[in-house]
Parts: sequence; C-alpha cells; structure tokens
Amino acid sequence: MFAEIFSFAYQFADVFAFLILAAAGLAIVFGMMGVINMAHGEFIMCGAYVTVGLVHAGLPLVLAQALGTLAAGVVGVAVEWTIVRKLYKRPLDSLLATWGLSLIVTQGMLLIFGSSLAGIGTPQGSFSIGAYTFSTYRLVLFGCALAVLAVIYLVFMRTRFGIHARATMQNASIAQATGVRVGRVYALSFGLGAALAGFCGAMYAPTMTLMPTMGAAFLIESFVTVVVGGANVLLGTAPAGVVLAVVRTALNGWGGQIIGQIGMLLAVIVVIRLLPEGLSGWLARRTR
Amino acid sequence: MNAAAPLLRTTGLSKRFGGHTAVSEVGIDIAQGEIHCLIGPNGAGKSTLFKLVVGMHEPTAGRIEFQGRDVTGDRPFRRVQQGMSIKMQTPSVFRELPVRQNLHIALQHHVRGAELAREEDRLLELLDLARDQAKPAGALAHGQQQWLEIGMAIALRPALLLMDEPTAGLSPEETFRTGELIRELNAGGMTVLAVEHDMAFVRQIAQRVTVLHFGKVFAEGSIQEIVADPRVAEIYLGKTQ
Amino acid sequence: MLKLINGSQTLGATRAFWLPFVAVVAAMLVYPVFADAYSVGNMAYLLLWVFMAMGLCLVWGYGGILSFGQTLFFGIGGYGYGVLAINLGGESATTVLALALAILASGAVAAVLGYFMIWGRIGGVFFGIVTLSSTLVLAFFLGQTAGPEWRVGEARLNGFNGMKDMAPLNVPWFGGEPLYFEGVPLYYLVVGLLLVVYLGLRILLNSRFGHVVVAVREDPQRAELLGYDVRKYQLATFVIGSMLAGLSGVLYTSWGQFITPASVGLPAASMPIVWVAFSGRSDLTATTVGSFLVLWTFQALTVHSQQAALLLMGAMLLATVMLAPQGFVIGMVQLVRGVFAPRRRREAATAMAEEGGS
Repeated sequence: MFAEIFSFAYQFADVFAFLILAAAGLAIVFGMMGVINMAHGEFIMCGAYVTVGLVHAGLPLVLAQALGTLAAGVVGVAVEWTIVRKLYKRPLDSLLATWGLSLIVTQGMLLIFGSSLAGIGTPQGSFSIGAYTFSTYRLVLFGCALAVLAVIYLVFMRTRFGIHARATMQNASIAQATGVRVGRVYALSFGLGAALAGFCGAMYAPTMTLMPTMGAAFLIESFVTVVVGGANVLLGTAPAGVVLAVVRTALNGWGGQIIGQIGMLLAVIVVIRLLPEGLSGWLARRTR
Repeated sequence: MNAAAPLLRTTGLSKRFGGHTAVSEVGIDIAQGEIHCLIGPNGAGKSTLFKLVVGMHEPTAGRIEFQGRDVTGDRPFRRVQQGMSIKMQTPSVFRELPVRQNLHIALQHHVRGAELAREEDRLLELLDLARDQAKPAGALAHGQQQWLEIGMAIALRPALLLMDEPTAGLSPEETFRTGELIRELNAGGMTVLAVEHDMAFVRQIAQRVTVLHFGKVFAEGSIQEIVADPRVAEIYLGKTQ
Repeated sequence: MLKLINGSQTLGATRAFWLPFVAVVAAMLVYPVFADAYSVGNMAYLLLWVFMAMGLCLVWGYGGILSFGQTLFFGIGGYGYGVLAINLGGESATTVLALALAILASGAVAAVLGYFMIWGRIGGVFFGIVTLSSTLVLAFFLGQTAGPEWRVGEARLNGFNGMKDMAPLNVPWFGGEPLYFEGVPLYYLVVGLLLVVYLGLRILLNSRFGHVVVAVREDPQRAELLGYDVRKYQLATFVIGSMLAGLSGVLYTSWGQFITPASVGLPAASMPIVWVAFSGRSDLTATTVGSFLVLWTFQALTVHSQQAALLLMGAMLLATVMLAPQGFVIGMVQLVRGVFAPRRRREAATAMAEEGGS
C-alpha cells in the first residue's frame, strides 16, 4: 500500500520537477519584462551541451553542470543586450525575434555539431520500495526544483537586486525615477532566466539524448506552467507546478503521455478563461 | 407605445469597485427628444454611470431600460445596435487608420456604395476635416480628434447620443460650434445625454440637468433651477457632504 | 461586388498595378508550354503553400491575431484528405468530397478552438502560445502513431513514416478515364484556385467585413461601441484563415500522395510566420508575392543544405523584426513610392509658387 502511494508521489515529484525546472527561467523573464522568450529551449540546450562537453573533457559532473548553467547565463546577458533590449514595449515582436534566434541557433548547431552528440549516462543509484524501483537521480532533480524555488525566493526577497527587480516589475518608470538602474535589472534578470534554463538543461543532460533541437521537448511544459502561473514568479510558478503536475500525473497514469499533454493544453485554456492573470493574479487578489 | 415613457431609465443603479462605491442607487429618466446634462464634481461617478449605461461595466445592482426594454444584461454592441452611441472621455478613434476610414467604419451600418462615399464627404465637411481626411486619426489635433469621434458617434444615427465631456480641450469657438451642432441634431430628433464641466456650455444646450455627487443623484431639474440652487454651488466648492 | 477588388485595404488599385498583374497571370498560364514537366510540378508545389500564407495574412495582418496554428490546420487538412481519400476509395468524385470535407474539418476545429479562446478573452501572446501548443501536441500525437493499431478505417497514420498511398485529386472526365490532378492539370488547378482566392480575399477585405476586421484589430473596444460583435468577426477571420491553411494541406497531400508529422511540428510551424512577417503582413498582395519569393529561395537553398535554409529563415525573421517590422516587401514598395513622390511634390510646389507669386 505504502509502495503504491510512494510510487504516485514519486511520479508527481518527477513531473513537478520537470515543470519547475523547465519553466522557472521563462517565468522570470516573462514576469519581469513581459517577454516570451521563444529561444528558451535553446538556453536549455546550451546548458546541456556545455555540461556534456565538459564531462567528455574530463570534468566531474557537478562542476560541469555548474559551468553549463553559468555559460547559459552569460549568453543570456549577451542576447538581452543585443536583441531583447530593443524590443521591450513590443511583446509580440520580442516573441518573433527570439523565435528567429531559436531557428538560427538550432540550425546553426545542427550544421556545426550534427544531429546528435554522445551523451553521458544517468548517475547510477536506485532504491526500492515494495515491488517498485526508483532512480535516485530523479529525486535529486526534485530536490533541485525545490532548491530553484528557494533560490528565486531568496534572490527576490532578500537581496538588493531582488528589491530593485520587484520594484521594476511593479512600475519600471517609477523605479527608475527612484534611482534603480532598470536597464541593468533587465539584463541581469534575463541572464538569470537564461541561467535557470541552462541549469534545467545541465541537470537533465544525463537523462536525455543530446540533439540541437532538444529544447523543444521542454517548450510546451514551460509555456503552460508560465501561463497558468501568471506574471508573478514568486506567487504563481510553484502553485502552477503543483496543479499541473497533479493533472499530468493523473492523466499520464490513465492514458499515457499524449493524454497527459492534451490534458495540460486543456488546463491552460481553462485557466486562462477563468483566471486571465493566472494563479498569481488570483492569489494576489485573494490576499489583498 | 406610451409617449411619456422615457427613452432611457435607470433604477437603483449601483457599481462597486472593491471597497469603493462609484455609483450608488442612481435613478434617472431621460425623456425622448431632450438634451440632458450630467454634472457634478470630479469623482462623482459620471463617467462610471455612462459606462454602465452603454454596457462597458456590469452593474452591482439595479436596472437599465432603453426604449422600454431591459438592457441590463446586454453587451455593448447590442445596445449600440438598438440605438445608443457614445463619445468617450478620452478620444477613442482608430488612431492608425485614416480619418476617412474612421468615418467609413461608423457609416457602413446604414449606407453602402456611392451613398456611403457621399455621406463620408458630407460628414468631413461638417466636421471641418476634409483637408485632413487621409491623415491617420492619431495625427489630428486633440480638438479635431474629439470632433472626429463625435462625427463617428452621430454617423450611427442613434436614438440616444451619450457624450462624455464633449468640449474638453476645445477652444471657446469650437465649444460654441459643438453646442450648435448638438442643438441641430436634437432638433432633428436625437436625444442627447452629456457629461460636462463647462457650465457655459451646459447653459447653451441643456434642457434638464442632473447633478451627481459621491455617486448619488444630488439634484435634478431644469437648468435654471439647478443654477439657482445654492446646495449645488456648495458641493462644487467642497463645503458640505 | 467586383468593384470591391479595389479598395483602401489593399495596395494596388491603378493601371500601374493591374497591367503588370495581368502580365504575370498570363505568364503563369503559358508557363507549362515552355517549361519541362518537372519544373511545372515543382511550381505547383511552391504555389500550393501560398494559401496558408494568405490565410495567415488575413488572420494576423488584417485581424491582428497572432496564430501559430497554421500548420495545425495544414495537418488536419492533409491528414484529413488522406484518411478520407483512402477510405472512400479515391475514385473521381470521392476525392473532391475528401477535399471538401478535409477543409471543412480544419474549419470546424478552428471554430471550436477559436470559440474557446476568443470567448474566453484569450488574446495577444497567449493566443499564440495556445495555438503553438496545440500544433505541437498534434505533431507529437501524429509522431507516435507508427503502430498498425493507429488507423482510421483503412488509413494507417504511420507515425513519422508518414501516411501514404492516398489517391491524388481526380474528377470524372470525358472519355471514360478520370482526370488526375497531377503535373500540368494540377498546376492549372493551383493557379486557378490562387486567382480565385486572391481576388476573393481582395473583395472580402474591401467589403464591410474587412473594414470591421481592421477596426477590431486597431481598437476592439471602439469597434464594439460602434455596434459590431467583435468576437464573431474575430472567429470568422480565424476560421477562414485556418481553412486556407487546410487547403494548402490538402493540395500538398494530393501533390505528393504523402504527408508526415514533420509538416505540422517545428520547424515547419515557424515557416508561415517567417513568410508573412518578412513580406509584410498588412497587405495581401505583399504577402502573396513575398511568400512565393521566400518559398522559392528556401527551396533553392534546401537543395544544398536544409539547415542553412532554415537558418536563413530564422535570420530573416530576426532581421524583419529588428530592421523592417512592417515587412521588407512593403518596405520596398514604400521606398519606390518615396522615390517618385518627392518629384511630384516638388512639381506641385513649383506650380503653386508660379500661380501665387507676383
């Protein structure tokens, strides 16, 4: 009996981790700047490729993952500076520009690296409960998702950057008038979003085949979580992750992956219909 | 049809936004064929009342009847189709589209083809916008945009024309011309309900006046009665509740 | 009604436009006389995508609704035709029925999806996200239908291997044998349909409907306050545009007797956006001409390297947004006009000075 319950909880944790890790970076960029970063998948891919490349070069996994995350963050800052910065008041245009960038990067990577790269194995380690065996690494991923939420909370609530960032999110022109360097906040936020995406890629790299188009596998889930969560990362992303993970786990168990995905899509449509500002908008209203 | 039935009647109309009551238990009657002005200090709820009448807000309580029918649940487009037309407080025209096309979109409800083109010309002349007809509406001066929006509103040939501050930002001469236009339209059968701050303009056009204060009807009567009422002056000067 | 072919919503109304137009159409009609069979078939292939582009132009350029779902409806049209053609037998009138029903199916799905989104007040970027997600879900679904149990009647979906063996469009013809729309007949069918759709859209856009669609794009609240049910116009626009994508899908499947999930998912889903954004979504003719040019360029490059071609598409999209948001084709038209207009203004100014001076 316990084994069944644990198995369900494990699957929930697995889906929850995927949603949070995939969506966190996108949520920050969207919440901060209203930008839908269609190249989000490519930052994930960047983190994964750098990680795997470094592991093949001899670095230990954890160090490689840290550097993969960092690499994605740096690239993010560069992208913000050259492209995204010019498109802030134009949400649809920034969507299109980042989509163009996404095409350039994936096809460029295909040209340079070919269609797949030798991967690295999932770190060994499993445990059993009852008749079920579970991979330890996926629990690590769950831990990482919780860590990401904690880090976001700490950064935005406890650091000076966080205060500036929240002020900018509320009202950028007033924040600027009080001395906040809004341009720098945007650049760092985009970089943070890209780094979180890179972190997702770095952590999932050992579990996936490496392809330049691997970012696409995270797209639907990250979009859906961000839309359901709403613009406030602190308030919305985690609850959205919980709700969607429950829906997904239940539907996966009932009908398989495809039913799970369709279910998520329907969940998005229903949520947008009932709560146009996502869960964070609804929660913010309730607590007022 | 009862000839005395009002064209527009609100009963117990209220609107609350969170903790703030913008409109409270407002009951007004607008008779067919009259020019009625709605005045009151800032924040009295006049624009909110307008938006309730045309359907842009849903009332918290109360009823709205137009031409004898209950329209409280009707969407704005349906009320417009039944004969309402509104000119908003901030100029609401299609800024990127040429002036002529703005009028075209309003006029095409009633006319087509060559007659439509003639009506466009006629309105452009009336609004003194013929020279600027190819310009995007957003490039017009503020006063011209007001006039354009008025033109679009009357192009619908409404039974009831709602105007939220039609003379805001207009010169005295433009204000006077607007007043003359409204009186002409009224002589042709159009009922007009206007929110206004410019008392000279109110005196020029109004037959009946309703005063709103803190979302409630404070006073109501002919323009002479209202002007002579000392309480009305006081609420403008902020002395009493 | 024919008068509406010219109007304020579409560029090109004078003889300076229509004479070259007639010349181009004439050239297209005699093309098969001079070109070899392969080129004719290839030209039909390039042209059949233009319907999808025109549909997106209507929905996005004129309607202001950013839909990433064109390949979703392309897929429904294409797979729908395949399923119906295979199950109905593929002889003559049944393929025409298959064409009609497949297009109607894409319209029906668009109506349902559009209804939920539009009445649910989903707009802007969210509309794009939901349509993109729907497209990716369909692509994902079709991708895992490789097993023999995945079939509709007799038609196997076949996963990534693609659905095949459906009959091409054919109609009963004089002399017993049906006329198969392949090669030259298909070319003429596509050209004919293009003319009809192009002129039909011009009429639609310059009509009352078209003016309302543009008004809704510019200021939905103002449009509603002028007495128009904004939601109905948005839904109608979305359904028409999506059905045009479905038409492209049907013609594609008939052309190659083959369709795969790759036509639905990424990067295929990006292509209509690139064509239409690059050409200039706010005008029908710009989109039609520009999309064809981009398609032709893409094909020329794909021969050498598909990745390079797609990379160029991405670069074109980025360049359009950063440098010429109104579209490069429209930008060029304005440039050309600008070259001629200053001269006219100078001449007018000189004339006025001569009259007034003394």
